[in-house]
Amino acid sequence: MAAHALTIALAGNPNVGKSTLFNALTGSHQHVGNWPGKTVEKKEGSLRIGSDDIIVVDLPGTYSLTAYSIEEIISRDFILLEQPGAVVVVVDAANLERNLYLVTQLMELDIPLVLALNMIDMARKRGMHIDVRLLSARLGGIPVVELVGNSGIGIESLKEAIRGMVRRTEPGTVHVPYDDAVEAELPRLQTAIDNAGFARPRWSAIKLLEGDLLITDTIAQRGGGALVEAAQGAMKRIEAATGEDAETLLTDGRYQFIMGLVDGVLTRSTVGRTPSERLDHILTHRLLGLPIFLLMMWFIFQLTANVSAPMVDWMDGLVNGIFGRWITSVLSMVGLSGTWFESLLVGGVLAGVGGVLVFVPVLMVLYFAIGVLEDSGYMARAAFVMDRAMRVVGLHGKSFLPMLVGFGCNVPAVYATRTLEHETDRKVTGFLVTFMSCGARLPVYVVVGSALFGAAAGNLIFGMYILGIVVALATAFILKRGIYRNQPPQPFVMELPPYRMPRMRDIWRQMSNRTGSFVREAGTIILATSVVIWLLLALPVDGQSAFNDVAPEQSAFGAVSRGMSPIFEPAGFASWQTSGALVSGLVAKEVVVSTMNQIMVGESMQAGAEAAESVETTTFGEDLSEIGNSLVETAVLTVQETLNIVPRTLNIIPGLNVPELSLLGAGEEEDTTALEASLVRLLTPLSAVAFTAFVLLYTPCMTTVAAMRQEFGTRWALYQVVYTLVVAWAVAVLIFQGGRLLGLGA
Amino acid sequence: MATQMRAVLDQFAAASGPVSLAEMAQRLAVEPGILEGMIAYWVRKGKLREVFAMAPGAGCARCGVSDTCAFIVQMPRTYELVRENELPIINAVCNCGCGGTKTQ
Repeated sequence: MAAHALTIALAGNPNVGKSTLFNALTGSHQHVGNWPGKTVEKKEGSLRIGSDDIIVVDLPGTYSLTAYSIEEIISRDFILLEQPGAVVVVVDAANLERNLYLVTQLMELDIPLVLALNMIDMARKRGMHIDVRLLSARLGGIPVVELVGNSGIGIESLKEAIRGMVRRTEPGTVHVPYDDAVEAELPRLQTAIDNAGFARPRWSAIKLLEGDLLITDTIAQRGGGALVEAAQGAMKRIEAATGEDAETLLTDGRYQFIMGLVDGVLTRSTVGRTPSERLDHILTHRLLGLPIFLLMMWFIFQLTANVSAPMVDWMDGLVNGIFGRWITSVLSMVGLSGTWFESLLVGGVLAGVGGVLVFVPVLMVLYFAIGVLEDSGYMARAAFVMDRAMRVVGLHGKSFLPMLVGFGCNVPAVYATRTLEHETDRKVTGFLVTFMSCGARLPVYVVVGSALFGAAAGNLIFGMYILGIVVALATAFILKRGIYRNQPPQPFVMELPPYRMPRMRDIWRQMSNRTGSFVREAGTIILATSVVIWLLLALPVDGQSAFNDVAPEQSAFGAVSRGMSPIFEPAGFASWQTSGALVSGLVAKEVVVSTMNQIMVGESMQAGAEAAESVETTTFGEDLSEIGNSLVETAVLTVQETLNIVPRTLNIIPGLNVPELSLLGAGEEEDTTALEASLVRLLTPLSAVAFTAFVLLYTPCMTTVAAMRQEFGTRWALYQVVYTLVVAWAVAVLIFQGGRLLGLGA
Repeated sequence: MATQMRAVLDQFAAASGPVSLAEMAQRLAVEPGILEGMIAYWVRKGKLREVFAMAPGAGCARCGVSDTCAFIVQMPRTYELVRENELPIINAVCNCGCGGTKTQ
């Protein structure tokens, strides 16, 4: 389709709603293809304004018209070579200054322009007011139209503006004024370019001074070698006079022009005008902010522990029951029943990896809740809320950002410290992030909490997250008052996104990515560790038993674990099983659960599966039916637990006793996993708290230690390993012994 | 007279390490939208670089991606000066199968 006087182009930065506007203008009259010789999509459409048929070409989104990207070159070439009747430059009104850079470059091309101020509603919501008339006047009278592209507001005005511009031929009247040294060179170069017969002399002169390779080559190839030499001479004189290269001066000139342009055109409301600011007045309040943050976190952990519980039970039933039976059946068919291979698959891999995977629903619920907070814009405020507390210990809210990352995973949290300006802050914060309770620790809290505290497991989880923050702050206090004292306080500045309704698509993406990383780890590190643990559990050290026919406590793993257990005696969890799980947890914190499952449930899983297999209790079809029925029951229980969040939250208030919903009748919803049942025999509520506190605080996983070493060196990583071990043990002992002294029981 | 563009570079040079866009905008008393474009210019020129919360060539055991890591989405955009003797930053496709990129 050849361009002619009634062709217009849509230009603009990426993500300014250009495509929405293109669709609004052209409706179904569209043709989609590629730009010649490029893989960049080209969209053309048509619209009729009065008696004029106008072709609309949607140019690729670009921030400028330099020659550094294919999109920029396509846009520039189209405007230069096809010479559309007008260019509608679509601008995000809420980010006016950034978008105006492209406008200044289009102005230099001396083409009829229409400025479409899209998303004007968003700008207003953010308290921005744009004086459209003044803006138009300062841009030499080009039409400026306010739009809300996705709701069609302003489209008719835009069409009228386009109609008025497409037949205009006079060049633009406003030029960006550049540095004196540049302006001194431009007229000479312009005249020479004009005399040589090249179009757009001022623009071409600017491009030559910028050192634009494409334009320079084009002019040189068309007999303008002398012009190129003249431009190079001018560039040297400019640099000699100013100490700055011409391209930087030209870029600077455009930004100076934009700053002058928006002065008085764009005004921002200052206090409490926008809904976001009103909300922030409460949510980041100096006194209310922290309690609100804590309340939200408490609510999230109630949700995490309770809503996911039926699904965890259901998955536990599958892994520890039906899947075990299926594996045993298949192995029986191929003559491998009762062999070490069966033991490895059922007691090692299934108990280890499966024992961790049953907690996927827990993580999904947690990541969903965190995703809602992030997508709504609240999570960014958490750093502000924590800024005051951080300052007390000598840090600032900026350091809380990597700590927030640490709630997901400690490894990126360690790396995230590199965004901090000062090395001391980086080191101290790196030390702290490992105390943040990552997703991998959550299965430990859930299984221990559910076993010992039932429906109150959410309180234990919440308590662990808070304990991590408290220990981190105490550590910061020690480090900043001791090793790194006399460091000047740093200001904390952060651009806060406006609040918005969370978008399910984004939340789902975050939740699935994060949960996916957990599942990937189960398939790699946890699988490998489970096999090693199984091997150590199968190796006898008593001199009497045979391989894979040894009581777990008489195995190599049992021997090592028994050797470790006296250390944990003062903390109340001196069983060899928990000690062994803590040792293997040095690999990754999820392994604590997988190891406990292997030790406490694996053997019974294998025995149970073999027994079920030998008596042929169920058929495959019956198993599928059982899975389906239990899934329906699980769905009902999930609804019930979700609804029961309300009475459980209200029942915190002393004197209130709001009844909880029971959709399946009393008693039917009570269920415990095989691992939970075993834990009740090994731990008391008090020692359970001490145990989870130890899991939270002790040496982070190997990958985190490796990240620490990479970022801060071997010595710092070693300090951290020793410090976390000591702190974890001390806090666990303090909890257990302190609890006993307070009469909380053992 | 020093230009605003030069002032941006000088401020990054004077900083002890990486500085976020918002913080630098406050130090220079420039609107973040304008500073964003100025920084983009210096990044293109190789004078500044964005600091991603992931180590060069390193990766988390779970994934190995940097700017696409699911856990670091809330970090503010942060930049630092590229010193004279430093190698340029290259973004490469992560080879862990997640489709993300990592900084090398």
